[in-house]
Amino acid sequence: MAMTMKNWTLSLVFTSVITMLLANLIGNHVSITESIPGVLWLSAIAFTGIALGKVIPLKIPPIVFVVLIGMLVASPISPIAQPIIDSTAKISFMAPITIVGTLAGIGLDFKSFISQSWKMVIVAILVFTGTFLIQATFAELFLHMTDAGN
Amino acid sequence: MKSSASTVHPKQTAWGHVKENYRLYAAAFLIVLIAELIGMKKFNAGPALIVIYPMLFAIVIGVVLGKDIVKFFTKEETKKASSLVLVAITPFMAKVGVLAGANLPELVNVGPALAFQEIGHIGTILFALPVALLLGIKKEAIGATSSTCRDKDYGLICHLYGSESPEARGALSIYIIGFLIGTVYIGFLASFVASFQFFHPLALAMACGIGSGVMMAAASGTLATIYPEYADQIVMLAGASDMLSAIVGIYFTLFISLPITKKLYAFLEPKLSFRKRLKYEGDV
Repeated sequence: MAMTMKNWTLSLVFTSVITMLLANLIGNHVSITESIPGVLWLSAIAFTGIALGKVIPLKIPPIVFVVLIGMLVASPISPIAQPIIDSTAKISFMAPITIVGTLAGIGLDFKSFISQSWKMVIVAILVFTGTFLIQATFAELFLHMTDAGN
Repeated sequence: MKSSASTVHPKQTAWGHVKENYRLYAAAFLIVLIAELIGMKKFNAGPALIVIYPMLFAIVIGVVLGKDIVKFFTKEETKKASSLVLVAITPFMAKVGVLAGANLPELVNVGPALAFQEIGHIGTILFALPVALLLGIKKEAIGATSSTCRDKDYGLICHLYGSESPEARGALSIYIIGFLIGTVYIGFLASFVASFQFFHPLALAMACGIGSGVMMAAASGTLATIYPEYADQIVMLAGASDMLSAIVGIYFTLFISLPITKKLYAFLEPKLSFRKRLKYEGDV
């Protein structure tokens, strides 16, 4: 059921890679030539993470490997950390996300959305409010206890 | 679905891939262009700074052009778009990873707080379950409030109760509503809570990890704009928290929050449900 890596790569190029350059140009005022190294690094990290996720037989979302690879190559032990950090710093963190919203919006099942009852809308809002507030409370508490927030 | 496609087209060329999807790719490109041209909007609502990112405009344009309103896209294209979300979000997650690697000492420093705030996921039950019962919602409330009902949680509830069960219906409702309302709302919520200046920006950042990459991006993006001096750390911590949720979230739902929800439901339901039987649409 999963995509082949070839189709995955083509999909990435035609969605994220192109629109990251576009969004970084319009939204972040960084020229396309200046964005290219950062976009290529992010795409290479994404590719490696997803490919790794296919090989490693663990029940972990492949996206986790993408974050871990990114962390590894940018960490102090990595010999190529500095060029990666510098080039990706030019890509605003919202530049890769506009395409995600676009695709998620196109894919949304609006019919079943409006068929939901208003009661469930209230419940949904409270579900998100609750988890956000309680997570923030625990985080705040432990930041103080470990004296980490300053 | 890809396996059958690959038997029909044993080797789909790159050109074949483009030919099959060019309409979707071109339209997505144009939507991004329009959303970016509208740009980021900031305005004050009382004490809170509301930030609207191009992503939110993109969602709205995408929904309007989708198969239910303007019907520009076909059913197949909307399905394809859904499956591409997980592809398109990977560079953002790579960015989160790079920020984490570059700020590793800070990440280690807040590690304990990051781990323990995961317990905060029980917050989904806290307000939502009592109110759901007051509104006359029955077993749907169990599925709806035991987690934020993202893909994996919904899958879990279906696995435990069956996809036709009231529990699964409740989880599906939150799953569907959550994406559209959740993404818009969580950004507002983050800026509203931030305006009280009660929580440390980094604590708020960790709270953004609620198990959905899109929502995490919306909430952390807003916070990063409010606290530019913490921007990188906010995105990094929100990402780390979200990743943690992605790994442990389903086990947390299964072993902690779902049992708590069921206990609380059994305890509260007789007390809060005044409208017994009234909305009992013949659930077995």
